[in-house]
Amino acid sequence: MIVKEYCMYCGECAGVCPHCLIEVRETSIDFNEEGCKDCGICIQVCPVKALAKED
Amino acid sequence: MKLIETDVLVIGAGPAGSSTAKHAALNGAEVILIDKKSEIGSPKRCAEGVSKEGLKKLGIEPNSRWVTKELSGVRLISPNGTDVWMKEDQVKLPEAGYILERKVFDKFMAMDAARAGATIMIKTLARGMRKDYEGYIVSCESMGEDFEIKAKIVVGADGPESRVGRWGGLKTAVKPKNMESGIQFEMVGLEMEDPDVIEFYFGSVAPGGYAWIFPKGDDIANVGLGIVSTVTDKSAYEHLVEFVKNCPATQNAQPVELNVGGDPVGGMTKNLVKDSLMIVGDAAGHVNPLTGGGIITALEAGMYAGEVAAAAVKEDNYTEKRLKEYQEICKIEIGDSFDKYLKTKDYLLSLSDSDLDSIAAAFQDTEFENISTKELIKLLIKVSPKALLKLGKLF
Ligand SMILES: Cc1cc2nc3c(=O)[nH]c(=O)nc-3n(C[C@H](O)[C@H](O)[C@H](O)COP(=O)(O)OP(=O)(O)OC[C@H]3O[C@@H](n4cnc5c(N)ncnc54)[C@H](O)[C@@H]3O)c2cc1C
Repeated sequence: MIVKEYCMYCGECAGVCPHCLIEVRETSIDFNEEGCKDCGICIQVCPVKALAKED
Repeated sequence: MKLIETDVLVIGAGPAGSSTAKHAALNGAEVILIDKKSEIGSPKRCAEGVSKEGLKKLGIEPNSRWVTKELSGVRLISPNGTDVWMKEDQVKLPEAGYILERKVFDKFMAMDAARAGATIMIKTLARGMRKDYEGYIVSCESMGEDFEIKAKIVVGADGPESRVGRWGGLKTAVKPKNMESGIQFEMVGLEMEDPDVIEFYFGSVAPGGYAWIFPKGDDIANVGLGIVSTVTDKSAYEHLVEFVKNCPATQNAQPVELNVGGDPVGGMTKNLVKDSLMIVGDAAGHVNPLTGGGIITALEAGMYAGEVAAAAVKEDNYTEKRLKEYQEICKIEIGDSFDKYLKTKDYLLSLSDSDLDSIAAAFQDTEFENISTKELIKLLIKVSPKALLKLGKLF
């Protein structure tokens, strides 16, 4: 997952991830890429569109 | 690895967690309250509105350090600009309230928990947990140090992320249609028609939600909106920029802060407890689905959770069956009314901009006496035959 520099670490993506794969810290965010099923829900809900799929 | 033992571990020091920690400690439990943030309450993810009635019910005295504005009315604005004013000098507004300074308020609530006897650990992240024969062992990280906390009861008060519940097997993942994407500028230089009145803007300005202006001073306000990402292609940020560009009150206003956050508006989660585990606040869907307000319900549910957790500790009984008392209280005090508000929200979201304009026009000709959310819905049913059909039996 590409996390753009302007991510505000609000955690909305973590709340909707159906597999609980996103850990949000105060100023960083970790995706468990191995478990990711590419559903894209986290990208969809981000209020500032700070997430993008890696090509 | 270092292991700390406690009766109750509360994860998250927002209103829900601080209230849980306070009430568990007041009732005799040994409590640890952790939060990943370095400053409790900051950054705020909230428009900061609460009702006076709500605070009163919880015995929380308003404090000038965290009340920024006492409100005297409400203004509802439909898509074509038709507005409905409800002011305290003309109508009774039992839900009129205050605009808080959450950064201060949340800290005060945590301080109350500390005064009640809870131990607070800031900049402490819970990373996962495993079941122990009596409770849970939670893996934590603070300032580069890894350690564990063993607790007889773990309370997930971790807000809209709600991962703690899922670690323990509760179904707390929020569907995207039930997660409102909130965004807001705190702005200065606003030109409001009345700076003591909160404003709500409905319709396509905020698909799936509404926009708001919540005044914090004569020319200061939280200007924001909530949208549901499944019904719009634009981001919440894009909707906000458009709203600020078009709203008469913000033409000369400047942002001094940007806030974002998810608001789970799908109603209360069905199961709030498991053996040695409870969830509370946003983590448990304790957010009014119609308004998106969750501060008061987080504090209230936290009070019930803390009391039940402390009683369970006294009885040395941490089973799901014992902790269910909390779930039952929440259902009666919070969940049942949320079910009705959820249905009302679904109905309101089915209305077009022109439907909303007609309702606003009908409201303008109506005499108000005593206005609360419930009364407004009753009025809606009165002026709209469609609403009567959908909501008549509920209210
Ligand atoms: C834009 C917006 C506007 C809103 N406006 C209003 C309003 O005007 N009025 C109203 O009543 N409600 C409003 N709400 C809702 C309100 O903000 C929430 O309902 C309220 O904050 C819920 O409190 P809480 O304690 O459950 O969660 P939170 O306040 O989110 O607190 C959760 C805490 O848990 C911590 N945490 C999370 N995960 C971990 C972890 N793994 N380890 C350690 N700590 C962790 C977080 O750092 C955070 O401090 C709004 C929400 C949004 C998004």
